Amino acid sequence: MKEEEMEVRVRIPTPLKKLAGEQDVIKAQGRTVGEVLQWLTETYPGLKERLRDEQGEVRRFINIYVNDEDIRFNQNLETPVKEGDQISIIPAIAGGSSLRRRLTLTFPPQLIKEPVIYNIGHQFKLVTNIRSANVSENVGWVTLEIDGEETEYSKALNYLNEIGVTVEPVERNIIE
Amino acid sequence: MNYVSGLRCRECKREYSISPIHVCEFCFGPLEIIYDYEKIKKSLTHKKIEERPKSMWRYQELLPLNGDPTVGTNVGFTPLIRSEGLARALGVRELYLKNDAVNHPTLSFKDRVVSVALSKAKEFGFRIVACASTGNLANSVAALAAAGGFKSYIFVPYDLEQGKILGTLIYGTNLIGIRGSYDEVNRLCSEIAENYGWAFVNINIRPFYAEGSKTFGFEIAEQLGWKVPQHVIVPMAGGSLITKIWKGFKELEAIGLLDGVPTKIYGAQASGSNPIVAAFKAGVDWIKPQRPQTIAKSLAIGNPADGYYALKTIRESGGWAEDVTDGEIVEGMKLLAQTEGIFTETAGGVTVGVTKKLIEQGIIPRDESILISITGNGLKTQEAIQDQVGRPLIIDARLSDFEKIGAPKQRERENGIQATL
Repeated sequence: MKEEEMEVRVRIPTPLKKLAGEQDVIKAQGRTVGEVLQWLTETYPGLKERLRDEQGEVRRFINIYVNDEDIRFNQNLETPVKEGDQISIIPAIAGGSSLRRRLTLTFPPQLIKEPVIYNIGHQFKLVTNIRSANVSENVGWVTLEIDGEETEYSKALNYLNEIGVTVEPVERNIIE
Repeated sequence: MNYVSGLRCRECKREYSISPIHVCEFCFGPLEIIYDYEKIKKSLTHKKIEERPKSMWRYQELLPLNGDPTVGTNVGFTPLIRSEGLARALGVRELYLKNDAVNHPTLSFKDRVVSVALSKAKEFGFRIVACASTGNLANSVAALAAAGGFKSYIFVPYDLEQGKILGTLIYGTNLIGIRGSYDEVNRLCSEIAENYGWAFVNINIRPFYAEGSKTFGFEIAEQLGWKVPQHVIVPMAGGSLITKIWKGFKELEAIGLLDGVPTKIYGAQASGSNPIVAAFKAGVDWIKPQRPQTIAKSLAIGNPADGYYALKTIRESGGWAEDVTDGEIVEGMKLLAQTEGIFTETAGGVTVGVTKKLIEQGIIPRDESILISITGNGLKTQEAIQDQVGRPLIIDARLSDFEKIGAPKQRERENGIQATL
C-alpha cells in the first residue's frame, strides 16, 4: 500500500503555475518520472498539452531533473523516484514569459495630459506600478514596473511607440 | 526596407511580434525570425550585393534588423582560400578554407552573431548587454559592446584559456568566472536573464543573434562565384552555426541567388565533448547531455541548445558526424599551420582532424569539392599546444655558435645560394 502512495515533490516552472492551481510545488505520486508526469497531467489536465506533444511524447524543449540530475543522464522517463525526491520541470531554454520589467517612459509635451499609463493597464492584460516620476509642463518621465505575458507586453510597447512615447528599459541593478 | 514580419516557434509554429524573447510561451520551443522571402527575392540581386562594401552586411536584407547596422559594421567578408598544401597532404583535388580566424575585430566567427545581436539590442533600446560564453563570444561581446557604447556583463567558466580571459578584460567589461562547466554557466545565465532586463545575446536576443551565422554561408557561396561546395565541414558546440550555414545556402536558393544546393554538411566535435556526434551515430534524435573533457574548450558544451536541429541539418543534407581525440586536435592544428600558414584554435584543429578522418574513411570522396570552416584563431588557445611545438634554439650571437648547432649543413647552404641566384 505504502509503495503505491510514494510521494515526490514536483517544482512547476513559472509559466505553467497558472495551470497547476497557482502552485510552485506540487506533491505528486508515482514510482518513475513517467508515472509522476502521468499523475500530474491527470490531476491538472491543463498541463497536458503544455508538457506533451500531439503524439503524447514529452515536449522536446522541456527538461526534467530528479534532485538536480537531468533524467537523460539516468533512464529518462523510466528513471525511478523514491519518497521525498524532488522533480523539476524546466524549459530547456529557460527564461521567457511573465516577467516583471521596468521601463522609463518619456512623454512629449502634447501627451502629458493623456492617461497613457491607465490605458496600458486597461487595453492590455498588464499590471503597472509607478516607481518614480517627474512631470513638468514641458516634459515628463515615469519609471514603470510592468507585469504580464510577453505578447501583451509587446503589444503595449507597440502602442507606446505609435503614440510617440520614448521607451527605454531600466536595468535593474541600476535602480536598486 | 523591412523584410521581417515577426517571430515563429520552430516547434509548434505559434507566432509572436518582434521583441527580445526567444522561447515559445506555449511549448518552450525556440523562436525564429520570419522573413518575407518573396519581397527579398524581388529586391536582392547578385549585382546589388557585389556592389556593396565588403562586410557581412552586404546581405542585410536577410538579417533581422529594422534599420542599418550600428554595431560591427565592418565584420565579415573573411578570406576564402583555395588550398594547395593541405589539399596535397589530405590527397584531395578541390579543397577550400573559409578563414574566420581573421574575422574583425576579435578573430572568430562570433563577431558575426554579436554584431547582429548588439545592433538589434540598440534597436530595442537596451543599454546593458551580456552573454554566457566559452571564450570567443566573450571576446566579441566585450569588444563590440565597447565600440557600441554598451555596458557589458560576461559569464564564462573560470578555467578558460588565458588568451580568452585577457582578450575579454582588455575591453573594460565586467567578466564573471563561474566555478563550473559552460552548461552550468548557461543555466545560471538563463536565471539571470529572467531577473535582469539585459540583452543577453545568446539568451533573450538569440533568435536575432543566431541569424548572423548565416553570413558565413552567404560568403562561401558568393566567394565561389555563387556556387556551393559539395562537402562542408563545420565544428559544433551548441550546434547553431552548422544549422545556420545550411539555412544560409537554402535561403540563397529560395530567393534565386543559388542554383541548387548539392551540399552535404558534416559536424565535427571533440571526442571528449561529442553529444551531437554520439546521437548521430546512435541514430536517435535526442541528445544525451555530457560532462565535457577536452582541450577544445570553445566546443565544450555538453548540453547543446541547437543539438536537435544540428542533427536534423546533418541528416537532411546527407552528411555525417565525427569526432577526434585531443591528440588528433593538436595534429590538426599543426597540419593546417604547416601546410597553409594558418594558425587556428583548438576548434579548427577539431574541424581539420575530422575532415582528415572522414576522407581517410572514404566518407568524403577525394575528387569532389570540400570546404573546411575555420572559426577561430590559434593565438587565443596557446596553452593547448605549448608543449607540442618544440622550443627555439638559444645561442650567443656568434657564427661559430650557430654552426655548432649543426642546422645548416653544407648542402643546405649551397641550396640557399642557388635559390638566390
